[in-house]
Amino acid sequence: MSKKPTVGPALHKVIMVGSGGVGKSALTLQFMYDEFVEDYEPTKADSYRKKVVLDGEEVQIDILDTAGQEDYAAIRDNYFRSGEGFLCVFSITDDESFQATQEFREQILRVKNDESIPFLLVGNKCDLSDKRKVPLNECQTRAQQWQVPYVETSAKTRENVDKVFFDLMREIRSRKTEDSKATSGRAKDRCKKRRLKCTLL
Amino acid sequence: MLTTLANIKHILQKELFNGSGERVLSVVTVTKTFKKKKACYLCIVTTPPPVPVVTVCIVKQSEQREGEYKKKRTWQLEEIKWVDGRNEQFETHEFDIQVEKTYKWYALNLHERQNFLAVLYKQIQKYVRAQRAEFRNVPIAWLNDKSPEKLAAGRNAEQKNIQDTDDEEEAQEFTALTDKEATELGKLFSECDFAVKDAEQLIEKLSKELHDLDGANIQSVLASEKQVFALMEHIDKAIAEADSFEKRLDSYEEILGHVKETMEKIGGKNAMIEIANNNNIKLMKELNKVISQLDLPHIHQQALDEPDLKTVGGRKAAIAAAQSLQQAMNSDIDPTLLRLEAVQDQRKRFEKWKAKFSGIVSRFMNNLFIHLGNEMGDNTTMSTELVLPNHLSVHRELTPYTELMHWTKAMDRKTYDGLTRVYTTSLSKIYERDIRNFFSLAKLQISEKLRTSREDLDTSASSKKSAISAAPYGTLGVNREQWGPGVENADRERFDSVLEKVLAELEPVALQEQMFCINFFQMDVISPTSKNTQTTLEVLEKSTDSASLLTSPTSASGGGDASGFPQKKIDRQINEEVRKLMIALFGCLEPELVSFIQSFERIDSFYSLYVLVRLTQHVMSAQDTHSFLSMTFASALVQVKRNFDRFMQQQLLSIKEAKVPKRSKCGILPYVENFEYFAQTSEGIFRKSDRRTDMEKWYLQLVNSIFESISVHAQEHPKTPSQVVRMENYHHMYSLLAQLKVPGLDAMKKEAKMRYTDALKVYVIQYFGRPLEKLNLFFEGVQQKVAQGVKETEISYQMAFSKQELRKVISQYPAREVKKGLENLYKKVEKHLCEEENLLQVVWHAMQEEFIAQYNFLEERIQKCYAGAMITLEFNIQDILNFFSDIARSH
Repeated sequence: MSKKPTVGPALHKVIMVGSGGVGKSALTLQFMYDEFVEDYEPTKADSYRKKVVLDGEEVQIDILDTAGQEDYAAIRDNYFRSGEGFLCVFSITDDESFQATQEFREQILRVKNDESIPFLLVGNKCDLSDKRKVPLNECQTRAQQWQVPYVETSAKTRENVDKVFFDLMREIRSRKTEDSKATSGRAKDRCKKRRLKCTLL
Repeated sequence: MLTTLANIKHILQKELFNGSGERVLSVVTVTKTFKKKKACYLCIVTTPPPVPVVTVCIVKQSEQREGEYKKKRTWQLEEIKWVDGRNEQFETHEFDIQVEKTYKWYALNLHERQNFLAVLYKQIQKYVRAQRAEFRNVPIAWLNDKSPEKLAAGRNAEQKNIQDTDDEEEAQEFTALTDKEATELGKLFSECDFAVKDAEQLIEKLSKELHDLDGANIQSVLASEKQVFALMEHIDKAIAEADSFEKRLDSYEEILGHVKETMEKIGGKNAMIEIANNNNIKLMKELNKVISQLDLPHIHQQALDEPDLKTVGGRKAAIAAAQSLQQAMNSDIDPTLLRLEAVQDQRKRFEKWKAKFSGIVSRFMNNLFIHLGNEMGDNTTMSTELVLPNHLSVHRELTPYTELMHWTKAMDRKTYDGLTRVYTTSLSKIYERDIRNFFSLAKLQISEKLRTSREDLDTSASSKKSAISAAPYGTLGVNREQWGPGVENADRERFDSVLEKVLAELEPVALQEQMFCINFFQMDVISPTSKNTQTTLEVLEKSTDSASLLTSPTSASGGGDASGFPQKKIDRQINEEVRKLMIALFGCLEPELVSFIQSFERIDSFYSLYVLVRLTQHVMSAQDTHSFLSMTFASALVQVKRNFDRFMQQQLLSIKEAKVPKRSKCGILPYVENFEYFAQTSEGIFRKSDRRTDMEKWYLQLVNSIFESISVHAQEHPKTPSQVVRMENYHHMYSLLAQLKVPGLDAMKKEAKMRYTDALKVYVIQYFGRPLEKLNLFFEGVQQKVAQGVKETEISYQMAFSKQELRKVISQYPAREVKKGLENLYKKVEKHLCEEENLLQVVWHAMQEEFIAQYNFLEERIQKCYAGAMITLEFNIQDILNFFSDIARSH
C-alpha cells in the first residue's frame, strides 16, 4: 500500500471511530484548522492530511474521519484495515456511545488482527462535565482492561486535542520502528503476536 | 353751535327785528324743560335810542316756512321777578325765569345760556329802577364781569369781544345822568329857581358863567407858556447831551474794533510759531533716527573691512558687524528722506562695505566647503559593518558660520546661491560615494550569505541565462522540480533584515543633512530672490507694498500670514526648495536603492513581497510625508508595487499555461500543490502588514484562476478520469484554504468543498456503474411495465419478465463473479487515485454504500414482484459484507 517515495516525511494514518455525534469531526477539524463547528452534520467519510512536527521530526498525519452511523459494520473493515492507529471516541454525556466503543474495539482487533494496535480511548465533550453520564472510573477501568490510554478531550475548548493526536502518532511511530526491527531481525515477536491474535479469533 | 348762535342772532336780527328797528342783544336757543317741543329762541331786544326799551321775548320758527320767525311773547324787564340758574355749574342747561308764571327753560347751548343770563342781568341792572329781578344760582363771576363770555369763549372770543364793546359804547351814549350829576343839576336848578320863571335870565347867567370860565381857562393857559418854554429848553438840552454821549460811545466802539483785529492777528502768529516749533522737533527726531540708524560704529566698520573669520572672536565681531550693517541698510527710513545726499552717500558706503564683506565671506566659505569636501573624501574608511557614515563633523564645523550664511542670503542672493551650489557639489560627491559603498556592501552582505547556499548568485546575469530553461522560483504553474534555483526562507529573512538596516541607516543620515541644510541655508524662511536692502533708491520706484514685504526676514516669516502668503503655500514652497537641495545632494540615492531592490528581485520574486511590506512600513511611519526621503521611498515603493503586481500577474499566467503532469496518475496539479508554499510564504510576509489587502486581492484572483484551471486541466489527462482530477484537487484546495484562514477566501473555501463533494458523487456514480448490469436492465423493464399499469404481482406472467427469465439473469451473477467484479473495481479506483490525497477509503466507502443500495433495490423489487416464488439473488447481504471484508483484508 505504501508506495510513497522514501524521501518524504513519515506518514501516520489515523482513523477516527466512534458512534454518531460524539465529536469525531469536531476533534479532527479542531486539530486540523483550529476551528470548532457548532452545527452537526453527519459525516460519511472524509480524509485530511497535515504536516506536523512530532518531537522535532517533521511527519505527515493522515486522518480518516468516518461515519458514526453505518448500516453494516463490515463496511468499516476497509478503512480499519488502512489505519495504523485509532482514536476511539465517545461522548462522556452519552452512555450508549461509551458502550459502543466495545464493538468498535472488537472489530478493529479483528480486522487488524493485532492486539496491540495503537489505540486511544477518547472521552470527548469534557467541557460538558455537568451533563456527564459516564463515570470517569468506568472509562478508566475499560481502558485498563484494554491496556490503552484514556484521555478526556473537548473539541470545543481544544483541551487535549493536540495531545490525543500526538500521543497516538508517537505510538504509531514506536510501533513502526519496532516492526522494522522485527522484520529485519525476522524476530518471532511479530509472528507470535499474529498467532496470538489468530488464536483469539 | 357757536356759529349757529352767532348766525341765529344775525338771522333773527335781520328777519324779525330790523323791520321794527330793534336790536338783538342776546339770544338763547331753548326748549321748554320736559317738553319735547321744537326749539324756540329767547331774545333780549332793545329798541333804538334815544329811549331804549329792553324787552325779553320768545321767538318761534314758523312751522310752515323755513326762515320765517314770529315773536310769540314779550315781557318788560320789570316784569321779571327772579331768574334761577338752578346750579352754579357751567354745564347746567336749565334755567327758570319767573314772570307772570315760572318758565322752565332748557338751553341747548351752554355758552348761549351764559351769555343770555349775563346780558339779562346787565340790562336789568341798567334799566330797572325799582324792584330788580333776583338772580339765583348763577355764578357771580358771570354777573360781575363785564364781558362774561371772555372767560368761557374759545375760538371766537375776539369777535364776541368786539360785539360786546359795541354794546357797551352804545349803552354809554344813552347813559342816564349819574346821581351826582343829578344832584348837581338839582342844586343848579335850585339856585336858579327863578329860571323856571325866567329862562332868559338863566341863559344869560349861564353864558356869563361860561364866559368867565373861558377867560380863566385862557389865562391859565397863557400862564403856563413860560413853563412850557422852560420845559422845551430842558428837552433840547437833554437831546444835546444824548448826542454827545452817543458820539463818545461811537469812538469807544471804534477803539475796541481795532483792539479785536490786533488780537486776532497775534493769535494767528502764535499758531504759526507753534507749528514751526513742532516741525522742528519732528525734523530733529527724524534726523536723529536716520543718523542713529545709518550710523555704523567704527569697530563694526573695521570688522567689515578686515574680517577675521577663522577665530571665534573675529567671527563674532564680523557677524555682529554684518548684522548691524544689515540692520542699517534695512532701516525703516521714509522714502523721501532717502533723497538726502548724506543718506545716499552713507548708503553708497554701506554698499561698498557689503560688497567687500560679502566677497570675503563668499571666498572664505567657498574654500571651506571645498576643503571640507576634500577632507571627507580623503579619509575613506571602508568599514565591513553595514553603516552609512554621517557627516556630523562637517555640520559641526559649519555651524558657526550659520549666521554668516543667513546674512549672505538676506544681503547678497547671488553669492548665497553660488555658495549653496558649491556646498551641494562638494558634499554630494561624498554622499554619492558613501551611498554607493553602502549599497554595494549591502549587496555583498546578502550575496555572500546566499553564496553559501547557492553557487551561481553573484552574477545575476549569468544566473538569469542558466535559469532560462527553468521556470523562475516559486512559479505556481510549474512543477516544483522544474523551478529555477530558489532561495531559502532564512535567506529571505536575512534579506529583509538587511533591507531594514539599509532603510534605517538612510533615514537618520538624510534627516540630519536635511535639518542641517534647512538651518544653515535658512530654508525655512521665504526670502525674496531680488535685492533685500531698503536704503537703495530702486526701492522707491517699486510699489510700496512690495517694499513692506522686503523688510527683514524675521518680520517676513513672522507676519507671513498677514502679508498674503497662506502658511500652507509657504510650507509647500519650503518643502519644494529643500527637496531640490536634497536631490542635488543625494542624487544617486533613488537609483541605487531601486537597483539594490531589483538585483534581488531578479533572483527571487518573493523578495518583492518583502520589500513591499518593509518599504510600506517606512513610508507610512514617516512623519513628514513631503520630505525628500519620504518622497524617494515612496517612488521606490511605487516601483516595488509594480514589480509585485507583475510577479502576481506572472503567477496568474503560469497557472493558465500549466501542463498536466505526464505520469500515469494525474494527482495534484502543480499549481494546486505549489499554492500551499506560495500562500504560506506570502502569509508569513503579509500577515501583519498594512498591505494585506493588496495580497488578498491577488489571492482571490489566483484562487479563482486555479479553480478555473482545475476544471480545464481535468479534461486533459490521458488516463485519470476528469472527476478524479477535480475531486482530488478541490479536496486539496479546500484543505489548503481551511488552513490558510484568509477571511477573504472563505467563500472560495466553501466553493472548493462543494466542488469536491460534487466531483466525488459524480465519480462514484460513473465508475462504480452497475456491476449487476443485466439485473438492473431486467428490473428497469419491470419498472416500465409497472408504469404502464401492470400490477406488480402480475409481472411474472409477462413473457419477458417471467420467473424463468429472472432466474436466467440471476444465474449470470454468481457470488464468485460479483466478488471478482468488486475486486476489479477496487483495483481500478486504487489506480485512479493518488496517494497524496488519501481519498481511496473515502471513495471506496461511498462505493460500498452505493453497491449495497443497488442490492437492496433489487431485493426489494424481487420481493415485491416475484413474491412467493422463492427467488433470491445468488448472494445475500452477508455475502456482500464478506466480500468487502475480504477485499479489506487483502490490501
